[in-house]
Amino acid sequence: MNELLEELVPRRDELGDWNDVLRRARPLPRPRLVFAVAIAVAALVVAPALGVLLTRDGAPRLPREADRSKVVVIVQPLSGRIVVQAAPWKGHDGICYLLLGIRAGCAPRGTVVLTPPLVGFTFDPRVVSGTAVTFAGKRVPLVVRHFEKLGVTFFLTRGRLPRLLREATLLGSNGTVVARLRVKR
Amino acid sequence: MLEDLEALYRLRLPEFRRVATAIAGDRELGCDAVQDAFARAVRKRRSFRGRGTLEAWVWRIVVNAARDARRRRPALAEPRDAATNGHAPVLPLDLLTERQREIVFLHYYADLDYAAIAEALEISPGTVGATLNAARKTLRRAFEEVQT
Repeated sequence: MNELLEELVPRRDELGDWNDVLRRARPLPRPRLVFAVAIAVAALVVAPALGVLLTRDGAPRLPREADRSKVVVIVQPLSGRIVVQAAPWKGHDGICYLLLGIRAGCAPRGTVVLTPPLVGFTFDPRVVSGTAVTFAGKRVPLVVRHFEKLGVTFFLTRGRLPRLLREATLLGSNGTVVARLRVKR
Repeated sequence: MLEDLEALYRLRLPEFRRVATAIAGDRELGCDAVQDAFARAVRKRRSFRGRGTLEAWVWRIVVNAARDARRRRPALAEPRDAATNGHAPVLPLDLLTERQREIVFLHYYADLDYAAIAEALEISPGTVGATLNAARKTLRRAFEEVQT
């Protein structure tokens, strides 16, 4: 049996490579960085949502002051999820809104909103397109939806989940910059 | 501690590689598993409590790494092809359980005694002896059957 075992895996006297062992033992910086960024993003996105869920009775809804006979919505095409609801603000010149099911409120005309930094809106009628810079530093195009009857334009990123925006640039029909919004830190 | 690991690596590398190769079923996978296992030992060296010997602790890591390497490549050919000419005797390792094989490899290739094998596999020395005897008996019987 010993002979057969010898034959199965013959002994080889090799020096090996200790430096390779030390190299493999070193932690890889990139996964850590990615992990840290993922945690930070998760904290930014999940914490406000959780906070809202834990501190309110039920999920936020379109405010009572909204004229519910004239609600408009933006639906995420892939998931069918309603990402924006908006309606005229009864008794005021402005709108009431529910963003991503986590942030609701009413705003007077003239306001430009980018909060939470996932979706925003403007009353400026010149805005037809836009670009944004995410927190990861990537420049992405914005989806812009104008609602004539409400006189408001919403903007958010494409994709299943809106991305966190650090900065948004809203453009007019001839490409001129109408507004530049930055998330306050 | 790091120096001890390096000394162990340099002193016993052929044995580590033989055992890992036998368990993984492939020389390249076995050698890679040894490198990974020592890297892991370097990273986790502060978790070594000194309850057993450092060598047994490292053997445990090497055996685990070799098992993982084998699992990652399930469609392995047998370490040695079956008797191609119909006469060459081949060790019928298929007849042994995974634990029996590991104990055989640690005993023959690394020349570890029962206590060291027991420490490396986290079992009792009595189990090592009984398992090794059972493995020997199985292999002996298989040879007799082949020869008759």
